[in-house]
Order: sequence, then C-alpha cells, then structure tokens
Amino acid sequence: MAGFKEARGDLQLESVTKTFGDFTAVDGIDLTVPRGSFFALLGPSGCGKTTTLRMVAGLEQPTAGRVMIGDTDLTGSRPYERPVNTVFQSYALFPHLTIRDNVAFGPKRRKDKDASTRTDDALELVQMTQFAGRKPHQLSGGQQQRVALARALVNHPEVLLLDEPLGALDLKLRREMQVELKRIQTEVGLTFIHVTHDQEEAMTMADTVAVMNKGHIEQLGPPAHLYDLPRTRFVANFLGQANTGVGAIEGTDGEHLVADVFGTKVKISRARSQVHDGEVLFGVRPEKVTVSRQQPQGVGNDVKGVVRDVSFLGVATSYLVDMPSGATWSCYEQNLDVEPIDLRPGDEVWLTWNPGHAFGVPVEEA
Amino acid sequence: MSSLAQVSQVAGDPAVHPTAPAPETEKRSWTAYLLLLPGVLWLGVFFILPLVQLAAVSLQSRFPGFPGYYYRDLNFENYLSALTDYAPHFARSFLYAGLATFLAFVVAYPLAYAMAFKAGRWRNLMMICVVAPFFTSFILRTFAWSQILADEGPVAAVLNFLHLLPGGHIINTPVAVVAGLTYNFLPFMVLPIYASLERADPRVIEAGGDLYANGFTTFRTVTLPMSMPGVLAGTLLTFIPAAGDFVNMELLGPQRGKMVGNVINDQFLAVPGGYPVAAALSFTLMAAILAMVFLYVRRFGTDELV
Repeated sequence: MAGFKEARGDLQLESVTKTFGDFTAVDGIDLTVPRGSFFALLGPSGCGKTTTLRMVAGLEQPTAGRVMIGDTDLTGSRPYERPVNTVFQSYALFPHLTIRDNVAFGPKRRKDKDASTRTDDALELVQMTQFAGRKPHQLSGGQQQRVALARALVNHPEVLLLDEPLGALDLKLRREMQVELKRIQTEVGLTFIHVTHDQEEAMTMADTVAVMNKGHIEQLGPPAHLYDLPRTRFVANFLGQANTGVGAIEGTDGEHLVADVFGTKVKISRARSQVHDGEVLFGVRPEKVTVSRQQPQGVGNDVKGVVRDVSFLGVATSYLVDMPSGATWSCYEQNLDVEPIDLRPGDEVWLTWNPGHAFGVPVEEA
Repeated sequence: MSSLAQVSQVAGDPAVHPTAPAPETEKRSWTAYLLLLPGVLWLGVFFILPLVQLAAVSLQSRFPGFPGYYYRDLNFENYLSALTDYAPHFARSFLYAGLATFLAFVVAYPLAYAMAFKAGRWRNLMMICVVAPFFTSFILRTFAWSQILADEGPVAAVLNFLHLLPGGHIINTPVAVVAGLTYNFLPFMVLPIYASLERADPRVIEAGGDLYANGFTTFRTVTLPMSMPGVLAGTLLTFIPAAGDFVNMELLGPQRGKMVGNVINDQFLAVPGGYPVAAALSFTLMAAILAMVFLYVRRFGTDELV
C-alpha cells in the first residue's frame, strides 16, 4: 500500500505538544512505551490523554515534537499509513456492515490474502463468531466492545490504542472486560495503550501507568510504585485515597524528617519525601493507618482523633476520623479478629502508622 | 407502542401493583386514539373520500349527446386510453423526473456534505440559503426561471455568445423543464442527505481512516453507505412530485411533448368531458410511481437505517 509505514519497536513521543487556539492540550510530552507492554494513560477529563492518543493514531497532528515507532518517524503521516489501530470510545462500528465485514474492513483495505482466515481468528479470539452475521445495533454494549477490539486486533498493529474502551459498560461487565483485555494482550503480545480516567482500571490492567494532568505527565511507573510513593500532590489524590496534612519540616532524626503537622511531630522517611525543607504535604494511605483505643508505643507516628463514622464492609471496617487539624482521615482495618474493637462515632482514638509508609510531596501542585 | 405495552405489563402484574386499577391502561390507549383523531378525520375527509370519488369517476362513461354528463359504470376503456394514447407522456414524465432527480443528487450531495462537515460557523447561514426559496411561491420562482432562461435572458445570451447553444433557445425546451424541476425540488434532496450526514458519528468516519482506508475509500465504503437513508429519502421526495408536476412544463416547456401532469390538468380543466380519462390517468400515474418506489426501496433500502 502506498505510503504505509512498516514500523517496529517501542513507541516514542519526543516533546510532543498540541495546541488548539490558545489552549494547550498537550504540553511537551516525552514518553517511551516499550514494545509489548500494557501502558495506561490515566487522568481526569481534559488532561490531554485522548489528544495524546489521537496524535499517536494520526487523527491529530502535533503542533510540535515527533511521534516515532522504533526508528520510523510517523509525524505528519496519515492514520491509514500507520501500523496503529484504535478501539474508539463508543466503539464507532460501521452501522451498515455486518460484524464480520466490520472486522474484515482493515484486512480488505490492505489487500491481505488471508483476510478471511484472520477475520475468523479475530472473531474467535473475542468469542464473537456466532454473531458474525449480525449488524452492530443488534448487539449489546459489551458485545460491540468485543467487536471493536477484534476489528483493531485483526490487523496486528504495532501499537493498539484504546480510548476509554470500557467507559460505557456497567460495573460487572467492566470488571470482566478488564480481565479479558489483559488476557488478550498477553496472548497477542502487542503494545496496548489504554486511555482512562478510572484509576482502578488503570491499576488493574497496566504494567506501566502515566498519570496526566493539564497536558503533562505528572508521574510514570508501575501502578504499585505510583500508589506507594506518589511524587506530586495530584498523583497522591488521584490514585487511590490519601490521608494528608500540611506541615513545616523542623529537622531530621536519623533516617527521618521531622515535620510539625497539626501540632504534632510527624516522622517521614527521608527517602520517601520529595521536599527536605520548608512546607511539606505529608500523606499516608488509609490501609496503612492503625486505629486503637490506647496510645501504642514505639511505632513512630501517632495522633489522637475523634471517630466520625464507622462502616462495616465485611472484609474490612472503614473509619472516618476527625483530626485535630480539622481534616477527616479514613482508615481501613481488616477484620482479622473475631471481635473487632467496638468503636462508635464520638469515641476518641489513636491513629498510628509506620514512618516508612508515609510520603512527602510538595504542597503546591506543579 | 412498545412503551404502552410495557406500561400495561407493569400495571397488569399483581406482584408490582397489587391494587393497581386496570383502567390505567385503557385511559392511556384512549389518549393515543384522541391524538390520532384530528389527523385521521382530516385525511379521511380530504384524502380518502376524494380518492374513492376519483376512482369512481375513472370508471364512468359519458352520456352520448350530452357533453359533460356521465353515468356510473365499470368502463375500463378509460384506463386503456390512458395507457395507449398517453404512453409517451408517461415516458417523458419519468425521464424528466429521473434526470432532475439525478441532477439534484449531483448538486445536493456535495452541498450537504460541505454543510455537515466543512461549514463550521457558516452552517446555519447555508441552511437558511437552502430553505430560503420556500419563502416565495413555487409559481413565482418558476416564472423567475422563465425570465432567467428566456432568449434575451443572461444564460441564453452568454451561451449564444460562446456559440454553445445549438438551437439558439433554452426556454420552451425539455432542458429548461429539467432545469426547473431540478431547481424546484433541490431542497428536498439537500435536507434529508444533510440530516443523515450530520447524524453520522464522526468517529465512525475516523475509524475508516484508522483501518487503512484513504479519504476516497473511506467516503466510498463508510460515509456514502451511512448516508444512504438520506439519499433514498431525498430521491423519493424529488422524483415523486417531479413525476406528477405540470407547472415547470407549463411555464418553461415546449408547446408539444407535454408531461402527464399537463395532460391530467388539461383533461380536467380544458377538455369538455375529460374527467373520466383524467381520473384514470391520475390513478395510472399513482400506481406507476408506487410500483417504481417499491422496487427502488427494495433494491436500495436498508431497513435498519431508514
């Protein structure tokens, strides 16, 4: 095919910028996505994640910067010249074609001699063979989703882009499709780039997550790392829940920074803080906080608060505790004991946590 | 109707509403009939009854010696006469209407496409321009066309100057008739095509490009098929009235070689005792159009999308 670029390798974005009039949607992103990985672009709506995806697909051209796969520069080439396929939000199936013709569309355009076999295989992979003769409007949302996936996968693209592919599905189906997508990605071994605003979805499926905000990448890494050690206030709040407080760093105590947070001395592991003097936003995840009636000894951090609310969740009990600073913290206690501590709203409790579980980030958002 | 069915299911389910009164559904279905009533009455009095009357007239015979008087009969010779004497008129009607429909499609599709995808903030203005002719009367616009196409008018003058007009005239030729028909029914072609293009999900068209189809292939395999319901509606809305039209032929056409609409008009108004034949011609035209539309929709219609 004229102009088609047979590129292989890692996807690289080099200082990619996209502006629409005065608005900068994507602001100088540098990114390398290793071949064969499952990569998630996570962020709130309007953060530039979909625009980034569309620039990889060729549906938008960057205002500045380069889009490469391996050594091939794809910047400026048309969507149909790229070894990249997209699973669109709301699927964008061809309404006038049968499921089979939808899936066969790409292979036919490329004059693939094995178009028919490949179409069969792709339908098989997403378990839609029995619906091959139907039209898209005769299928449920989940089924359309599978067809959209098959229609992209059948081309064996170097990079597969998924634009909020599970957003229109109900929770149960979404969970199923998360597992399914992960299975398919492992099976076909292609590079998947998944755009989503659902942090749970990103963490469940992706090897690497890039958290985007206001057109740039805040932090990038394996989901567990991002959750355990966020480097910005935005990441700390966007990815999971975080109990936070603002304090002034007063000194060090061995490996720990000592900060004055709501009138109490709080220790943060030095290696886990992005700031080492001045103001720090200190945080700890809810499941890392222990609730007890008596002040425990030697843990390192403890604060006295008042229970506001108790919710029994089965595997865990969730507490909301009003802190002296005025903030409300949440804590999860796993229900390991037969008789858990019986707390009621209004009770005074001690919250404790290990300094090695806390993190410190700059107070100001970047 | 499906919502009515659902309502009745819920109301009739004792587990949902143990004491739900059954009249609830009856009340609702009465509302539906009440809403239908004005339309049904209007169509009954002003469409169905005249149609039955016309059917009766088409089978009447003349009183010999009393021009303009008829008696009730089953005289199918009126239909025979309609088909044999006026076959060329039918043929011309369908030919001119077909040409006008084709030309209107050729003009309307790019226009509708531009309005749907390229016009941006000019879209509303373009829409007004398409609809603006409706603010003046059909007859008046056709009169204007007789001026435009007249021998001393601008079109003929330019073409004559360039020696591009073999006969020397446009007015009073079939060309003028087809031009008038094309112009007069153009909005009926533009609007449905525009509606179907505007409704198309732009991501579906993008998907064509994403799946290795270049611009033209995407148009041929995705955009055009998706707009077929609009094309179908537009061609029907153009062809059907154009085939029965007589005004364009009357004002722009030649003296001889009329369309069937003109024959019906003359038989009713100008020929003494022409009513039965005019009625038979009307029914034949209606049947012919219905048959053509049926075949056309069967061939090109996509039931899911219409």
